[in-house]
Amino acid sequence: MTGFASTAAARPLAVLAALSLLLLIAATPRPVLAQGERGTAPQSAAPDAATADDEFTRQLNELKKTFSDLSKKFDDSAKNIDRLNNAEAARKEIEELRAQVGELLGAVADNGIVWGLGAKALARAEQKLKSLEAETRYKPEDRQFLIERWRELKNATEGAIRELEGARKEFADLLRKLQTSEDFIDELLQIREHQRALDVIHQLTDGIRDASDKLKKLLGTIKTPGA
Amino acid sequence: MRVLAAAVVPAALALAALALTSCNLDSGAGYVEIKAIPPSASVPLYLDQAKLEPLRNGNAVLRQKVGTVKLMTDVDGHMSLLCNVEVKKNRITSVTVSIMTRQPRCQCGRPNPAETGLNRTCIG
Repeated sequence: MTGFASTAAARPLAVLAALSLLLLIAATPRPVLAQGERGTAPQSAAPDAATADDEFTRQLNELKKTFSDLSKKFDDSAKNIDRLNNAEAARKEIEELRAQVGELLGAVADNGIVWGLGAKALARAEQKLKSLEAETRYKPEDRQFLIERWRELKNATEGAIRELEGARKEFADLLRKLQTSEDFIDELLQIREHQRALDVIHQLTDGIRDASDKLKKLLGTIKTPGA
Repeated sequence: MRVLAAAVVPAALALAALALTSCNLDSGAGYVEIKAIPPSASVPLYLDQAKLEPLRNGNAVLRQKVGTVKLMTDVDGHMSLLCNVEVKKNRITSVTVSIMTRQPRCQCGRPNPAETGLNRTCIG
């Protein structure tokens, strides 16, 4: 059982170590946040600026906070799995991790909330650029200033969306690895169950053999009447 | 008779309430990853009648309710089943849609070994 558990735990541990690294990288502040802060200037220039950009930035910030919270959880899980001495507990730990990774993947999935906000923010930046290019009310230099700010925002939003795409791919890969590890543990558990069943059959066989020997001895003691 | 009714009715109501609650329980969600080959190919795809947005870079990951969904395409105005996709809680099921010929084909990342034939089911 010890070797069993160590084999079972080795794989998820490797996955978790890789994951912790990945999440630490993901949790590092990136230009997306900086761009979000810069986004206040054009907002003051255009007071009716949609909340889509703000909401997108807020959701991204929350997501990154979740990354760092989760990073700790993964570290703890890695330590726990290392200490686990049975496959069932390791499987349970992986199942919990799958739930956590699944939640993150859900946010960045194509039909997820963060992804939807990103697409909305990009569409808004594109629409603003288009309308400003046709705008005639402002002085050319003012109009140019607004266009440049929106162009910066559009580039930053595209960059954030690329990051989300990267995160989505990594989470999908990670989820696949976790479920493969869990399936592997399941296979090990099935082997163990089969071994147990085999042991029971062996015990039964021994019992039958023993009974058979006793029966033979008993038969040997029986003498035909009159013999 | 009245005593029996007094005992049975609350029990029946409790059972009905339990059944209704069970119906509303969320059984969770899983993920479907769809890859297109070649990535640049464009083909209308549907998951249980819901049309998907065109795949960005030939790839999409979608959150779906647990259960089996049908991945379909539209060929000459007719809906055509590519494959079934089994969605399990917090698991990802990968499907590759090959668009090398006029009729797209579905390749499961992990096919159901118990099934044969065209209407295959991809499992996670």
